[in-house]
Amino acid sequence: MNTNNIFLPIIIPLIGALCALVSFKKLRFLLESSAFVIAAVNLILAVILFKENISLNIPWVLGLEFSLRLYHFSAFILLSVAGFGFLVTLYSLRFLRGKEYANQFYGYLFLTLSLANGAVLANNLILMLFFWEGLLLTLFGMIAIGNKNAFQTATKAFIIVGISDLALMLGIALTAYLAGTARISNIHLPLDTLGSIAFILMAIGAISKAGSMPFHSWIPDAALDAPLPFMALLPASLEKLLGIYLLARITLDMFILTTHSAMSTLLMAIGAITIILAVMMALIQKDYKRLLSYHAISQVGYMILGIGTAVPVGIVGGLFHMVNNALYKSCLFLTGGAVEKQAGTTSLEKLGGLGRNMPVTFICYLITAAAISGVPPFNGFFSKELIYDGALERGKIFYLAAIVGSFLTAASFLKLGHAAFLGKRSEENKNIREVPLSMLIPMIVIAATCVIFGVFNALPIKYLIQPVLGEGLLEGHNFSGFPTNMFLVAVTVIVLIAAFLNHLFGVKKSGSGLHASDHIRNAPVLVKIYDLALKRFFDPYEWGLKFSRLLADISWAVDRSIDWIYDKFSVNLTYSLSRQISALQSGNYSLYVVWSLVGAMLVFVLFFIK
Amino acid sequence: MMMEEFLILNIIFIPLIGALVLPLLARVSARLRNFCAFFFIAAPFIFSLKLIPLALAGKVIIFCKPLLFGFNFTLQADSLAVFMACVSSLVSTVIIFYSLGYISHYKNQNEYYSMVVLFLGAMMGLVFSANLIFLYLFWEITAITSWRLIGFFRQESDVFKADKSFLVTVFGALLMLLGFIMLAQQAKSFDLPIIKLALTNTPVSNTALFLILAGILSKSATLPFQTWLPDAGVAPSPVTALLHAAVLVKIGVYVFARLFGATLVLPQVLHLWVPVIAVASAIVSAGAALIETNLKRIIAYSTISQIGFIFFGLAVGNETAITGALLYILMHGIAKAGLFLCAGIVEQNAKTKDITQLGGLIKTMPVTALAFLACAFSVMGIPPFGGFFSKYLVFSGAIQSGQLWVTAAFFVGAILTILYLFRVFNMVFLGELKVSTAKEGSFTMVSSVALLGFLSLISGILVWYPLFFARFSALEMLGFVR
Repeated sequence: MNTNNIFLPIIIPLIGALCALVSFKKLRFLLESSAFVIAAVNLILAVILFKENISLNIPWVLGLEFSLRLYHFSAFILLSVAGFGFLVTLYSLRFLRGKEYANQFYGYLFLTLSLANGAVLANNLILMLFFWEGLLLTLFGMIAIGNKNAFQTATKAFIIVGISDLALMLGIALTAYLAGTARISNIHLPLDTLGSIAFILMAIGAISKAGSMPFHSWIPDAALDAPLPFMALLPASLEKLLGIYLLARITLDMFILTTHSAMSTLLMAIGAITIILAVMMALIQKDYKRLLSYHAISQVGYMILGIGTAVPVGIVGGLFHMVNNALYKSCLFLTGGAVEKQAGTTSLEKLGGLGRNMPVTFICYLITAAAISGVPPFNGFFSKELIYDGALERGKIFYLAAIVGSFLTAASFLKLGHAAFLGKRSEENKNIREVPLSMLIPMIVIAATCVIFGVFNALPIKYLIQPVLGEGLLEGHNFSGFPTNMFLVAVTVIVLIAAFLNHLFGVKKSGSGLHASDHIRNAPVLVKIYDLALKRFFDPYEWGLKFSRLLADISWAVDRSIDWIYDKFSVNLTYSLSRQISALQSGNYSLYVVWSLVGAMLVFVLFFIK
Repeated sequence: MMMEEFLILNIIFIPLIGALVLPLLARVSARLRNFCAFFFIAAPFIFSLKLIPLALAGKVIIFCKPLLFGFNFTLQADSLAVFMACVSSLVSTVIIFYSLGYISHYKNQNEYYSMVVLFLGAMMGLVFSANLIFLYLFWEITAITSWRLIGFFRQESDVFKADKSFLVTVFGALLMLLGFIMLAQQAKSFDLPIIKLALTNTPVSNTALFLILAGILSKSATLPFQTWLPDAGVAPSPVTALLHAAVLVKIGVYVFARLFGATLVLPQVLHLWVPVIAVASAIVSAGAALIETNLKRIIAYSTISQIGFIFFGLAVGNETAITGALLYILMHGIAKAGLFLCAGIVEQNAKTKDITQLGGLIKTMPVTALAFLACAFSVMGIPPFGGFFSKYLVFSGAIQSGQLWVTAAFFVGAILTILYLFRVFNMVFLGELKVSTAKEGSFTMVSSVALLGFLSLISGILVWYPLFFARFSALEMLGFVR
């Protein structure tokens, strides 16, 4: 195969983006059909390239080189990105119809695909950074075209992700310096002091892209402000794929991450904290999309926890979870979009009983909600079991965090499903109908994939994920099939049953599905914490802004005091000196004589007596 | 006379003499004057471009006309000089084109065009000078012209601020002159090539170094001489673009590179202290930009902050960092000029510079808003805009030299850059439309900013060409070529 074909995944979506951005708003049909064709071509291309191994190096100067590499891992991510890109485009065709920003949306979407493909294919750190940071632009654009105040959320997202991309930039500069090369496939660094700093900086870039805490807080805001297909594409699937891809690259190839290293523990801790805190917030949400967005954060925790364990079973679990999460999370968002499109709202207070109106959407919801909660035999169950296995090997506390997270995940999805699709249906919701076919197809395809990846989990694990680790790391293990550790399975089942009983208890106590988690919300200590959290007290972004404001105030004071020296101090000093000197020129003749004599004596003393 | 020497003399003397001719041409017609003013600035740009092949061939052109007391009129065109000449004349050309629209509403246009053209001539003279006395001479001509241009609107407060900037920069320049004299005492000549030979292995006294540094810092508006620059924002917007963004403030940076890179080996004391001064300057002014509410002052603070990055790169002094710093001069020049010119359009059409009274202008002036955003992205260092590469290279070079703490502090500066630029953009262009009468500027103005926005983008995508040039200059400075 021609080496230059490796450029196609970058160029084709780019052309699509340019076409969409300049297209006339009147020519809706042309825009939609060309968007569909471009997305389809991109997918077909990814399929064709899937089994290829291509690398291409065009050397440059100063560590910059145009170096791309297509191999099993990048091909796998490329295929996933293209798949989600295609399904979300298909879904958007109807969802965005009549929206003024449709052409901008497709433009940014294809630009995102192009940049994401570039970032995945890049085999040079700086080139990767170029594509990676470029995604900031489309992120900003896609959120900003949402509702009236969306630009504020867009700014927030840009600032958070932009800062972590700067950290990534520093990390890359340091890594390239330590390794003496910026070519990714040649970098294998030990985690000494500088190596650890470089690792942390790069990991910040990776987990921030994936949406982990503490870089998460724009996601719930974007859920309300940004167009829905954006949520299904970026925070739900594509950013997870990219972020976890990079995290896997730095933990598996670029740095030598061993078990029991401080970095491994750090990653696991971030993962565990993210799981718990985000799902706690998800539990109390009263909006379909916002609830899902917190799960988009919480699930990253599992992936980081899995990869952070640095044991094969955990890593395989983390990567499998990345794929699974991208599947069910994007599908869940798409069901949310279906509800929004038909009911005109995603506020759970106004929904209810939609299961009868939208049966296919409801079934898709059921499958994917079961998958995210880890119910066998769906895909989420298998990846979570692998992560549990790895976490337990590294410490009981991490396992505990993961299992508590699962309990709360299940509880919140029971609540969401109950509030949206079951229960009483209000009068105005009686006539809601199912969404059109072009929106159903993406949901059905993804939900079906969730089932297939669960029942036939050998398919993804054996052919997509285990090759990433390589035989050296796998040591002959095969992690597909039903979990071998029956203790873990038993605990999972008990937890799921407990979540269900908890839901029944909550419904009985509060009388509705929506309020099924109120007894946790109002539990003694939690109620205070929740109140603070809802006031954004724990939002790292707010803290960052406060800190920068403080820094700015100090800087302003410094700047103004320097200005005072020029504007006031030096002027006054000059004037007062001049006044004193002029006071000496009093016109008194005898005084002048004295001055002259004193001066003459000084001259004499200085020049003649030495 | 050789062709190349003829080119250099043309680059310097077309604007210098042209500036004096302009008022006479105005007697014939204002249109002729405007056209000629544009020509007197565009011609040096074209000629500078013609010097590029020579510079990249590693050829250094030296022109010397001996005069009394060692004040030789020596010109030197190495790749650093050609690079700088290209950058400043490129930006100046766009700015003068924009001026045709902007200044047409105001009085005293003769003075305006004369001063701008004279300024560029002095700049070109400074860039090619290889004699410290002539360097100083051209340096002071830029000070005088900028004094006239800042006080162009003639209100009392404007004149006061013009005086302030003049006094601060001339104070610095006098210190620098003392430093030059000490340097010349040691080397027995004011000619840079001779100084280079004489002082390669002998250390220069620290007093001389710091005196020269004071002059450089005052011209480039770096801490503690920075405050004249925001004050100079009272000037007409194209002037602020010319002075603050593209040309004047880069003089200090250029002379730093010329003296402490291309002539002397970077002295250790500057290698250690300039990064610290630069980072303090970068953070203080970026912080001030977050508080300030006057649109042009914010962008001026941003300039101070970005100049810090350039000094940092030059003071780090390895191949990567110097390349990054030179590239930074180009990228920042284009982007910052774009920001100032956009601010000019906003200020002229919305009749206010206070960002708290602006908002939602993206609806009425979309091209300006997009150009502003593109330039802002470049200043932030977001790919595919040009600023990305310069920022990365400066950071990368700094890490290679092991200055990790200063790099970490610059990281804070880079974060603040994102914050204040977004604050400005959001407050001026997004949100609720507050000044509904504001409309898009005239064709020349809007096309100028659109061009600068486009250049910011294309210089990132086609970064290979400027990067190659900058790297070649850096290598030549470090003595790897020749």
